[in-house]
Amino acid sequence: MKIVIDGIETAASPGEMLLEVARRLGVRIPTLCYHEAFGGQGVCRLCLVEVTAGEVSRLVASCTYPVTGEIEVRTTTPEIERIRRHIIMLLHRRAPGSEFIQELYREYGCQENVPAPDPDERCIMCRLCVNACEAVGACAITAVDRGTDKRIDTPYGEASPDCIGCCACAEVCPTKAIGVSRAAGHYTIWNREFELERCAGCGRPFTSRPCQERIARLSGQELSGAQLCPECRKKQAGSRVALSMIP
Amino acid sequence: MAIEPQQAAAQRPMEQIVRRYPPEQRYLLAIMQDLQKEFNYLPREALGLTAAHVRVPLGKVYSMATFYKAFSLTPRGRVSLRACDGTACHIKRSQVIIDELRKCLGIQPGETTADGEFSLETVNCLGACAIAPVLVANHKVHAKVTAAAVREIIKSYGGRVDEPVGN
Ligand code: FES
Repeated sequence: MKIVIDGIETAASPGEMLLEVARRLGVRIPTLCYHEAFGGQGVCRLCLVEVTAGEVSRLVASCTYPVTGEIEVRTTTPEIERIRRHIIMLLHRRAPGSEFIQELYREYGCQENVPAPDPDERCIMCRLCVNACEAVGACAITAVDRGTDKRIDTPYGEASPDCIGCCACAEVCPTKAIGVSRAAGHYTIWNREFELERCAGCGRPFTSRPCQERIARLSGQELSGAQLCPECRKKQAGSRVALSMIP
Repeated sequence: MAIEPQQAAAQRPMEQIVRRYPPEQRYLLAIMQDLQKEFNYLPREALGLTAAHVRVPLGKVYSMATFYKAFSLTPRGRVSLRACDGTACHIKRSQVIIDELRKCLGIQPGETTADGEFSLETVNCLGACAIAPVLVANHKVHAKVTAAAVREIIKSYGGRVDEPVGN
């Protein structure tokens, strides 16, 4: 079906999320809680756009809005900008420690926010980390408590035996709220320390043992002694292909 | 890891409660309610047993246990005082009640007195907004509570209350 985004006509398949259609078209809509791997969550509301169907216009979160008919979309209007600025003010009050949020704050010309309860806070509670942890099958971190006390944590705030040290949570976090501290041969995440295993090819330390085991299990392979880092694996695959092409 | 005989004995009643239910995720809440009723809180080992029984990661069980105000992760006192601070009660000045409870018992919401007698919690809504502000003491509902009523309630459960000076 045909839809119009910021005056540009494009085709969308029914049920496709509006944000994804816009991205394909190259139209930039700011997002925080959206990630390609998990789809829209509708948590941060930053991806707000105006959708007009026939006579009616309304504001929707584009990451959770499935296209079902012919619509006209505007991704920026004075009204949207005003609301977005307000959302950024709220996010900034919650997570003033995040550089990403600080940047948005400046970009949208926000001013004079109410003092934040915790000036170092970086988490905006978008739950992307929880989704990532669940996707790797660990479920080591979840939302704990409720209301203003709600936070992301491991059970009892202790090192979780379910954590495999994959750092997927820190990787997907849009505001860099999850700390990974590294020391020679070790790293610590969510209070749990992991030893770095070295790559059998280049000798560079690259991941934890539990993480390797999980990957092996997920891909239905035996974990043999020597493990290669992603780069060495790529090189190996490349040379295999190259060799196979030699007649 | 070897389990001490004492520890094993303490686990038995927990296990019995957990095993009352089929090992399915949908019984998670029911199991936790039974555990809370039996022990007056959710012991750590019990949460572990529950998670293993219904085959749900401990993280999710812990998330649920901390979400519902009906559960407590630390032992509640002999008398559990739950002050409602939902919207209606809040407007009806539940803060005054909570402040009075704090002052009389010398504890903050979420804490238990050192003698294990009283524990104080705030809850988000008890569904009894018409009689706000509400205070529940061991399942007994007290309606339209005042600061003076708070002192009487504490006394009726054997608590000692210093009378306010000057009035
Ligand atoms: S990106 Fe759509 S609500 Fe966060």
